[in-house]
Amino acid sequence: MRSIKFVFFALLSLALLLSACGPAVTEVPAQPEQPQPQEPAPTAVPAEPTVDPNAPVLGGTVIVGTPQEPGTLSPLLSSATIDDVINAFIVEGLVTMDGDGNYAPVLAEALPTASEDGLTVTYKLKKDIKFSNGDPFTCADVQFTYEAIVSDLSGASTSGYSDIENIECPDDYTAVVTFAEVYAPFMRLFAFIVPKAAGDLAKLDTWEYNRAPIGTGPWMVKEWVAGDYIALQPNPYYREAGKPYLESVIVKILPSRETGVQLLGTGEITVLWDLTEADIPTIETLDGVGWSGALYGYGENELLVFNFGTTDGSAPADPATAPHFALNDLRVRQAIQYGIDKQLIVDTLLNGNVKVGTTVLPAGQWGCPQPASEYSVDKAKALLEEAGWVVGADGIREKDGVKLSLKISTTTGNQLREQTEQVLVEMMKEIGIDLVIDNVPSDVLFASWDSDGMRKKGRFDILLYTTGGGIDPDSHLFGNYHSARIPSADNEGAGNNYSRYINADVDALIDDAAFNPDQEARREAYCKVAEQINKDLPRVFLYERMVISGYREQLQNFRVSPGYADMTLDSQNWWLKP
Amino acid sequence: MFEMTTYLLRRLLQSILTLLVISMILFGLISSVPGGIMSAYQENPDFTPEDLARLEAKYGLNDPVPVRYLKWLGNSLQGDFGNSFTSKRPALLEIADRLPNTLLLMGVMLIITLLIAIPLGILSALKQYTWFDHLTTTIAFAGQSLPVFWFGLLLIITFAVTLKGADGRPLLPGSGMQTLGQPFSLVDRIEHLILPVSMLAFVSAAGYMRYLRSSMLDVIHEDFIRTARAKGLREHLVIYRHALRNALIPLITLIGLDLPSLFGGALFTETIFAWPGIGRLYFTAALKTDYPVVMAVLIIYSALIILSNLLVDMVYAALDPRIRLS
Repeated sequence: MRSIKFVFFALLSLALLLSACGPAVTEVPAQPEQPQPQEPAPTAVPAEPTVDPNAPVLGGTVIVGTPQEPGTLSPLLSSATIDDVINAFIVEGLVTMDGDGNYAPVLAEALPTASEDGLTVTYKLKKDIKFSNGDPFTCADVQFTYEAIVSDLSGASTSGYSDIENIECPDDYTAVVTFAEVYAPFMRLFAFIVPKAAGDLAKLDTWEYNRAPIGTGPWMVKEWVAGDYIALQPNPYYREAGKPYLESVIVKILPSRETGVQLLGTGEITVLWDLTEADIPTIETLDGVGWSGALYGYGENELLVFNFGTTDGSAPADPATAPHFALNDLRVRQAIQYGIDKQLIVDTLLNGNVKVGTTVLPAGQWGCPQPASEYSVDKAKALLEEAGWVVGADGIREKDGVKLSLKISTTTGNQLREQTEQVLVEMMKEIGIDLVIDNVPSDVLFASWDSDGMRKKGRFDILLYTTGGGIDPDSHLFGNYHSARIPSADNEGAGNNYSRYINADVDALIDDAAFNPDQEARREAYCKVAEQINKDLPRVFLYERMVISGYREQLQNFRVSPGYADMTLDSQNWWLKP
Repeated sequence: MFEMTTYLLRRLLQSILTLLVISMILFGLISSVPGGIMSAYQENPDFTPEDLARLEAKYGLNDPVPVRYLKWLGNSLQGDFGNSFTSKRPALLEIADRLPNTLLLMGVMLIITLLIAIPLGILSALKQYTWFDHLTTTIAFAGQSLPVFWFGLLLIITFAVTLKGADGRPLLPGSGMQTLGQPFSLVDRIEHLILPVSMLAFVSAAGYMRYLRSSMLDVIHEDFIRTARAKGLREHLVIYRHALRNALIPLITLIGLDLPSLFGGALFTETIFAWPGIGRLYFTAALKTDYPVVMAVLIIYSALIILSNLLVDMVYAALDPRIRLS
């Protein structure tokens, strides 16, 4: 007890000492002077009440906390989610995904239309739009964006853009895109526009634009202090008059999500980006703090990936040549799904805040709802019996002297996933499967083919992680379920079909849909793929993930979008209730 | 003088060789870490094989490791440590951006540490085996054994969350180096320094104190102290003029060896308190396998350590004529 008091005393005297000699030392480094404009603090808003209590109060600063610092704000170079989330305050595209997961025009007048043969796509552009530097937005910027994306230094995905033959500008507000071959998911293109004024493409890596993008959105960068914060100020040329309401938005880089939750509670930050379902109970205990969540418009599932092939690292291109001792049998996979009470996981671990996983394409534009899987221990047991796995002396099933013991792996340090695994272990024990938790650091799990990644080389039985559809299902379905995308020596480890799942019908449907300009026909094709996946069970969808942010309830009009905008949705309408 | 020059030359040559070996080992280690920037792209099915090949070439990751090392070495010798993978800016610029913040934090910390450690160290040596000595030694021992990340979180929860000031706001800010959205103020900066500096100083003062205590104890039992006392010198003159001076010599070694950390910052402290310094830069870069930044920080840090070692040896020789350079 006495020594604790002493620690306190020591700290106190330390603090005193510090304030005594602080000034002399703080003069040493040159701190950037930050002339901040007079900003009415929330408490300093006009004393006399306004007529309408719901009328937006102008001014004020919102501080958005994020556990990661963006590397860059250029959509051409972004390599992390946070890069794109923060640049969404500034950068807009021709087409976006709205709050419900549907395509919506932004800088285009309407959604683009494709010609009969699917080779020509025409965009009508909005008039009188200006970038934050005052330049008008025209078709030339669309051309420039395309050139930038396919240029040598670009860090952006060129899929779709590489099929473009040319872009013509019959007038300033019409862009005609001609494709060399049909690119059916054309709607996902031009989700961002980079203005001509950004700079010379040969110097794309060193543009000033990368840290202070010129955009058409409500905000622009005022100052970026590396490692500390990014201050945004209103774009003076923003198209909606009188908006944004706020004086500034500051993106503060936090050490961790846990610290962020504390700071949200004390009011040091107004918004905390990127929470998980597991954080919700903590958030709900904080005074004046709420959360906003949205199911991903394109469906993002927490799921199990079964390995059909051998786990010795030989990574067979066809698992039939070297099958997994148990999981290559459909009945075993079905039994596992029957043995999982998904609703229980959602209710107990996620407080009922999310939906049970049912399909690869649960919602939005491409949604293809499927019935929820049945939870039946009896059916699970019967299927395992049928497959020849009989209960041994220790309650674990075995066949030809081999125990039905499977490893489940996910990334270490994720509490929710670890709890999910523990629940799964119990459920599998119920049906006689010995599930063993074997987690690894994310770098090991997600490592590349060249660095002998366990996922790429198939050194696992069952994986647990999150993945989802993308704004157009094409790349996700092709990458995750097409047999050409089984990582193997033949394709130098390309692709994400870690189950080593092969179904010729699925391959054909995905291939055809990629080149079919008829969007309704594509939807049907993808729906068939989703159904077939649920029959073949390369993966089990546990629950649908949400994108979640916490915020001080004082902040009005805050809503998280399931699309690109994430928590930046409608930031021009944000205001602080006094 | 001639002896001195050859000694210096030899030491410098050794230093360069050491640095070269260090850089090879570090590069090899970093290159063998799985993951890295390419795995993020590979994960995204929107990236075509052509995209991946283009990006690999752009980041210079398509060469074998020895070739990459030689390229890196060649550029580094010309002062170009490459560009950060995440921000695309020169690694040296990233470091320069954070250097003032780290110097501020570590500079204040070192001064506070010495202000606490020197008097406490002397006192506890002079009052050896009294309750004061036992108490300070125990606390110092605790300070040295405390895991910093735990202690840091404890400080945050206590002073930045639980304890409230008169205005109902937390007593002290728990992160960053200024209150955002407000103009720069010195008081604000000092408030932000209190928690991280307290934590660092507590831990490092503990080490200094124990060191000074034992060094002081050694000295006061020396013959020349007894002589000084015997010739009737007043006690405080004995202590401050004779004993302390000699006891401080080993402390100089310690301070000298700690100087590079003024550059390197404190990895845990900066990370926990969101201090935008080099320690935190290094931490995030390491997590993202941003090897140009990681290598630049490590190499500069290693060079500073080697240099300060050399410096300490030289100063030592100057202070204590009994020591020969050989």
